[in-house]
Amino acid sequence: MDFEKQLKLQAFLDGELPEPEAREIANWLAQDQQAALLLAELRNTRESLKGAEAFMPLPESREFYWSKIAREIDRLEPAARPPQAKPSWVAMWRRYLMPAGAIAAALLVALMVVAPNRGADSESEAAMSDPGAFTYRDYSAQATLVWLSYPAENEIADGERADTLQ
Amino acid sequence: MRFKLSLIVLAMLAWASIGIAAASEQAARSAGAMKFQIQLIWGTNDPKSPDDKHKPVDAEVGKKLKALPLKWANYFLVNKKSLEVAPGGEKKEPISEKCAVEVQDKGKSTFEISLFGKGERVVKRSQTLHVGEMLVLGGNAPNETSWLVVVKRIE
Repeated sequence: MDFEKQLKLQAFLDGELPEPEAREIANWLAQDQQAALLLAELRNTRESLKGAEAFMPLPESREFYWSKIAREIDRLEPAARPPQAKPSWVAMWRRYLMPAGAIAAALLVALMVVAPNRGADSESEAAMSDPGAFTYRDYSAQATLVWLSYPAENEIADGERADTLQ
Repeated sequence: MRFKLSLIVLAMLAWASIGIAAASEQAARSAGAMKFQIQLIWGTNDPKSPDDKHKPVDAEVGKKLKALPLKWANYFLVNKKSLEVAPGGEKKEPISEKCAVEVQDKGKSTFEISLFGKGERVVKRSQTLHVGEMLVLGGNAPNETSWLVVVKRIE
């Protein structure tokens, strides 16, 4: 059985297939014992994972939690990369600056279109001064949140009480 | 006798006019001043703070904090201070032993707000704050809690 067919079975199990395709897979399952066995295995795995997955309550919203993970990955990735030979200016221009310039121009146009419309309830932006900082603006609450890396990511946090700034 | 009386009346009038001028100057100064409320807040999922002096934040601030993507169940007020900035001026106010907030007026309701921790500037941010608006500076604290410094413009 090829990989595509295995994926189809997983999608069938997850209820992600459209009606005609699901019927087709059901017919195939009735005829192919190997496919039926794989489906049973996938179903067992899913049931096992359901019961074994630890529940983790988040102190923040899901979006904010994941954005923090993404920022942490971004912060750590440059350090993990091995040093590379310095590329020439021409190569750098062609590889990075030209696409970056095009993206910047597109963003500028988008900003000019969107900026006057401040009707949205909230927006968020990255604070450039602190790579670990994150800014969130809620217009309805008339409040701006700036979440800083200070002092949780340094040695102060480990040795002090919860009310660190006291 | 009449001359002495006139002198006394003149002196009283001069005194009164100096007093009125000083009072009006003070009134003019405070009329242009911008007032802020600074609050140091501790966010936690614990139902009560280990420090009895910490009270829950007021309802309005609590409601605004709940609107932000912070999902701590409880927010306790550690300290609260008022700060008044004259037009074009700046003012620094300690909010705890280690933490201080500085607000500098940049005109048109824009302020440069700095947070100091252990004497060092942690963050400096240019922020537009109209009356009623607030800036929340925060970060993670040990044991899955958080610290928050709320700068709210009240006048």
